[in-house]
Amino acid sequence: MVYIPPLNFAPVVSTEVSLYRSGYPMPLNYHFIADQLHLKTVIYVGDKDISEDYKEFLDSQGIRYEFVHVESCRDANINTQMNQVLRKVLDKKNYPILIHSNKGKHRVGVVVGIIRKLFQGWSTTGIYQEYGIFSGGLKGEVDLEFITMFDTQLVVRRDGVPDFVKLPSDGGDYREFDGRNKP
Amino acid sequence: MSYRDRLEGLAADEPESLLKLLKQEDEEIESKLGLNNGMLNLHRVINEDPGLRKRIERILDRFYPNDINAKSQENNEEDVDDIYDADEHRVKSDAKLRIVDTEEEVIPPENFSHIVGEIYRSSFPRPENFPFLQNSIKLKSIMVLIPEDYPQENLDFMSQAKIKLFQIGMSGNKEPFVNIPSDLLTSALEVAINPENHPILIHCNRGKHRTGCLVGCIRRLQNWSLTMIFDEYRRFAFPKARALDQQFIEMYDEEKIKKTAHEKKWLPIKW
Repeated sequence: MVYIPPLNFAPVVSTEVSLYRSGYPMPLNYHFIADQLHLKTVIYVGDKDISEDYKEFLDSQGIRYEFVHVESCRDANINTQMNQVLRKVLDKKNYPILIHSNKGKHRVGVVVGIIRKLFQGWSTTGIYQEYGIFSGGLKGEVDLEFITMFDTQLVVRRDGVPDFVKLPSDGGDYREFDGRNKP
Repeated sequence: MSYRDRLEGLAADEPESLLKLLKQEDEEIESKLGLNNGMLNLHRVINEDPGLRKRIERILDRFYPNDINAKSQENNEEDVDDIYDADEHRVKSDAKLRIVDTEEEVIPPENFSHIVGEIYRSSFPRPENFPFLQNSIKLKSIMVLIPEDYPQENLDFMSQAKIKLFQIGMSGNKEPFVNIPSDLLTSALEVAINPENHPILIHCNRGKHRTGCLVGCIRRLQNWSLTMIFDEYRRFAFPKARALDQQFIEMYDEEKIKKTAHEKKWLPIKW
């Protein structure tokens, strides 16, 4: 049986937890997702209502669907929406996670860029490069600027945070992300 | 007399027979050249010796004058990416080292990405990437797909970080004359998908073509549809995707590696 991954599919983190990125999964891709990824959560950053097919598929697999309405990183309440996504990503219990948008280029690119920056301490160059590989180099400036400027005051329980996330060693149970990983 | 000398001799005295040899590369050739150790790969031998390659290209130009334009363009542009240049590597490394130093952030190599599980791909890693490779992805092995000597600074880093080096020297797929030999790719796959070597980073020079071929073959072992394999290949090779690399991925005979992988229980590769 041939597996057909969704558009722009790739692993983002594959250590003790698995995080994947892609475009919108279509019926052709369901076999691959069900058979290979064993997802617990799907996070859709996008603007479309869920399709009947997709809902049925996710239900049948027992995969939780989280919809975060994002048109683009110019949305008025984009910080709240982004925090909503990050909160899911910072909780071990939600993994394996697939984050997808429609084409898997720009909106997902922004989410992944922010994860790379805030949680993994990647250099700006590395983040831009990765964004470019998946977006094919089109209309990136606004997104890249957003990734660079984005900051969050999100507070989460330290013991729920997956290991790939860099935490400062201040010993508390809670952790505020200020964008520079300072305690 | 080495093959090189014999090939040189042929290039000088009998260009016609050399052309014939290039077209039918097999045991017959070995016996003609008086070599029987089963190691001869004409294209590889030629490609590894720049002097010999130039001479043979001149002969080819003489016999196929129509290809000259297309080929010289390719030589000037396409293949720049395939040539590992130790000086370039050093200059770029020095420049970057001075800038970074005190920063706490980690810098992944260019074209870095996850393939599957703890198998990663990238372009040639430089010193500014070493902390990332050692501390963030905690490499156990690196597999390099170029034939040139590995730079000393990389070797020093790897011995300090206890990272094992695998070198499988492939010449770049220089269309249409030089192809990656299938058996080399099979040995590369044996290293890449063996969980004992993970986490492993696979790289060539830019992380586009040779690495792209290898990743494509890993995807074949994962039963991916060819369309999505090529989509991924092109994403990383952009803007220099090559038809013959994709053809190679499609034609690669996976029987031998599948047999080994099944025996050793390496399949399916864990996400």
